Amino acid sequence: MSRWRYFYKRLLLSVPVLFLVMTLIFALLRMGPVDPVAARLGPEASGAEAARMRERLGLNDPLWEQYLDFVTNFLTLDLGKSWVIYGDMEVARIISFAGPPTLWLGLWAIMLPLFIGIPLGFYAGLRPNSGGDYLASVSGILWQAMPNFWLSIILLATLRKTKGGGWFGFDWYTLGPDIRSVTGTPDLTFVTAAGIDWGTLASDIKLILPPALVLGSASMAAELRIGRTAILETINSNYVETAKAKGLTDRAIVWKHVFRNALIPLVPVITNEAFLLIGGSVIVEYIFNINGLGKIFFQAAVQGDLPLAGALLFLFTVVIILLNILQDLLYTIIDPRVGYKR
Amino acid sequence: MSVSESFEPTETTDESRPLRERVADNPGPARFWLLGTAVLIALEFGRYIGWVYQLVGAVKYVIGLVGLIPSWIGDSVGEATVPIVSYFVSDTITLVLLFGIAVLVTRFTSWSAVDQFDIGLSDRIVRFLERAVVTAILATLAVLLAFTPVGGLVNGTIDGVFNTLSSIPTLTSHEVISNQGHRTPGGGWDGTFLGLSPAVAWGLRTLLVYTYALTVIVWSWKGYTIFRDHYRQADWTPRDDTLRRFRSHYWGLFGLIVVLMFIVTALWAPAVSPTTADQNIASPYEYEIEYLNDDGEVATVTPGAANLGSISTNQNTVGPMSYDDYDRWAPLGTTPSGQNLLTHIAYGAQTSLVIGLLAIGLGGLIAVTMSMLTAYYKGIVDILTVLTSDTIISIPAFLLVMMLSVIFGDHPLAEPLNGGLLLGLIFAFVYWPGMWRTIRGPSLQVAEEEWVDAARSYGQTPANTMRKHMAPYIAGYIMIYGSLLLGGIIISTAALSFLGLGIEGSTPEWGRLISDGRQLVSTPSWHVATIPGLMIVLVVTGFNALGDGLRDAIDPEADTGGADDTGTAAAGGGG
Repeated sequence: MSRWRYFYKRLLLSVPVLFLVMTLIFALLRMGPVDPVAARLGPEASGAEAARMRERLGLNDPLWEQYLDFVTNFLTLDLGKSWVIYGDMEVARIISFAGPPTLWLGLWAIMLPLFIGIPLGFYAGLRPNSGGDYLASVSGILWQAMPNFWLSIILLATLRKTKGGGWFGFDWYTLGPDIRSVTGTPDLTFVTAAGIDWGTLASDIKLILPPALVLGSASMAAELRIGRTAILETINSNYVETAKAKGLTDRAIVWKHVFRNALIPLVPVITNEAFLLIGGSVIVEYIFNINGLGKIFFQAAVQGDLPLAGALLFLFTVVIILLNILQDLLYTIIDPRVGYKR
Repeated sequence: MSVSESFEPTETTDESRPLRERVADNPGPARFWLLGTAVLIALEFGRYIGWVYQLVGAVKYVIGLVGLIPSWIGDSVGEATVPIVSYFVSDTITLVLLFGIAVLVTRFTSWSAVDQFDIGLSDRIVRFLERAVVTAILATLAVLLAFTPVGGLVNGTIDGVFNTLSSIPTLTSHEVISNQGHRTPGGGWDGTFLGLSPAVAWGLRTLLVYTYALTVIVWSWKGYTIFRDHYRQADWTPRDDTLRRFRSHYWGLFGLIVVLMFIVTALWAPAVSPTTADQNIASPYEYEIEYLNDDGEVATVTPGAANLGSISTNQNTVGPMSYDDYDRWAPLGTTPSGQNLLTHIAYGAQTSLVIGLLAIGLGGLIAVTMSMLTAYYKGIVDILTVLTSDTIISIPAFLLVMMLSVIFGDHPLAEPLNGGLLLGLIFAFVYWPGMWRTIRGPSLQVAEEEWVDAARSYGQTPANTMRKHMAPYIAGYIMIYGSLLLGGIIISTAALSFLGLGIEGSTPEWGRLISDGRQLVSTPSWHVATIPGLMIVLVVTGFNALGDGLRDAIDPEADTGGADDTGTAAAGGGG
């Protein structure tokens, strides 16, 4: 099977997956034990009112008709309305104001591991079995085992403790731009008509750094481990030996031959981060009080706002399916062995 | 004791003599080992019976649930049609269920009417008649148990026997080495073991628990070596190499030690904790304890009232390794509601372990079955499974778990273990596709081997081929992935209860402790959130290390670069 045919096959496969996801969400919302009318009006809804609501929500239609409506609405990106948390607000509007903070968080949660985890892993891989290698590997292992929610509260407590000068006079509140609180939603108003407002940008970055560090922690550890193994495998391969015999400098070998090849196994790790980010964003946004999609999903799920929760779940799933396609595309371009190997 | 049984031989080839005969030829070593085992069991007999009783309770619960299916389906059908139909439907479904059980019974007993009688009918018919007869017997039994006093009588007898046997004091029970006593005006202790201070008595008992567990593990290993040296027919099996590789894998051994300590803590939770969960957490106003009050007199108080006086908040705290005002020993301090933190940790280990094992067991079962079916039949089964697993994997796991636990929050399934059973089922549903994906490659490989073809051409049924000739090669992989996934499940469970979902009520859970202590991290009561967090880090690291060790031992040529699936599984909880 040629590489591109393999890719198209994967692409085609994501269509039924999308439908199955919608079916599952539909089944959970309509056929699950939660009665939509009771969730909306409270358990003591009167008969007439409940009946009206039932008619208005279309719950008296046959199930297949409801299903068709549901699927067409989702496919045309009409995600419905929130019931409980945001009154009758359109889900699309909620996403328009809650989406940017989550994206900002996700951006930094991907950047930080990339610029800390991979260099550390490469460092450890280039000096195997040295003290630095052991330190990096062990801290990576522990880092990975730490639950995000615990890491968050410990980090928060530590940062709060520095108010008024902690160790060595380090004060997180006054370091760089001043912030009133360690937690909160970034404004994200730094792009104005007059250009970029650097002060707002700096405080937005400062606000997002601690949660992004926590959210990226697991990926950072994974990238460290895999980066280390990738370097070790590449450095022991024959073409590096050849380059050495040819008399290339260590510098040229490392930068030209080792790094580029070691990056290949890191591609799926980086795309896989999306899974961790989306799952982890609920907890991190909840603890750091960021009004993003994750926190809203949590509120919606807990308070029985099922249409909102279902719509957000669908949105996240679509993002993941798209990322999977992107990953397959990258693989197809980078690694010529794809499609032969499977 | 499951540890000792797991080393028992399970396979003997057809032409070899059964183990029983080999032991009969040379009974010395086996007798020696069995004697030691009997002593070990006798020391903790009451506790083992208690475990068996809990298992019996679980089986009863499952039977009860299955028993509800016919009337549930019958009622739904009756609602849609005429009510009288519901009776017919539910009776039919009951009979179908019982027939299914009868099929299982006849399959797993060696006796068969086909071999015994020759009545001129074809084997199929005789077999069917035999099953019908067994079904009738089962139905009679069920009616007898459900509608006559016999059922209550049998139930009562079982409960009575188990209650009596499990209340026998064991080596590590509170009755034998008690750490619950009070100071005397003279400065000594009253009511504790040998008049020692509660701290020392508790330390002694905890030490005894881990020593006993260590002895059991060493003795099981000895049993295995005795079997290997005296009774095994082959001089060498591939498993010897696996064990040898694992023994020199220090990282994996570290993981094994941590995991074993976690399991022992969970199983012996009542002995490790200074007080029982029932007395300290569940019903603290139904007990009474004595203490020396400030006036120098011995007074009586309920644990519930004492808890209120020994809370850990930002003002007052009962820290690790200290006594509270009621002469109670708190090795890890108390919680913000005044309960013993170690009691929460030990019983919380139990909760995590039950959920993790349930999820891995059930999910692994689904994954192995599907991998066998898809590797053996391929084609449409394979495509359907790929679609289903892709669908479930595409949905962010933690969010799906969250939503499912909210939606089924009021379902009857959420009752056992305060939601623990439901959580285990949800995790199994969410994580089986991941397990299936990891073992898919190996099972496809096995299905291509010649011996599978040979088994097929010899006329083995597909089920037997899969069970005997394919599954053993997959077992190792599922163990590796299961170990890595268990860490993720522990984190997810804790994260859910941190958010106030999943485990509710009075069942101890590590995540809830962290949630209780989240505002106290930089106060004198730092221990409330810090200690459970460190425990999670340690246990999850242990499971990850064990998984790494198992992988290197079982499959030394594994592609270490392709850690994308195993690596993320370890932290896949998203918590």
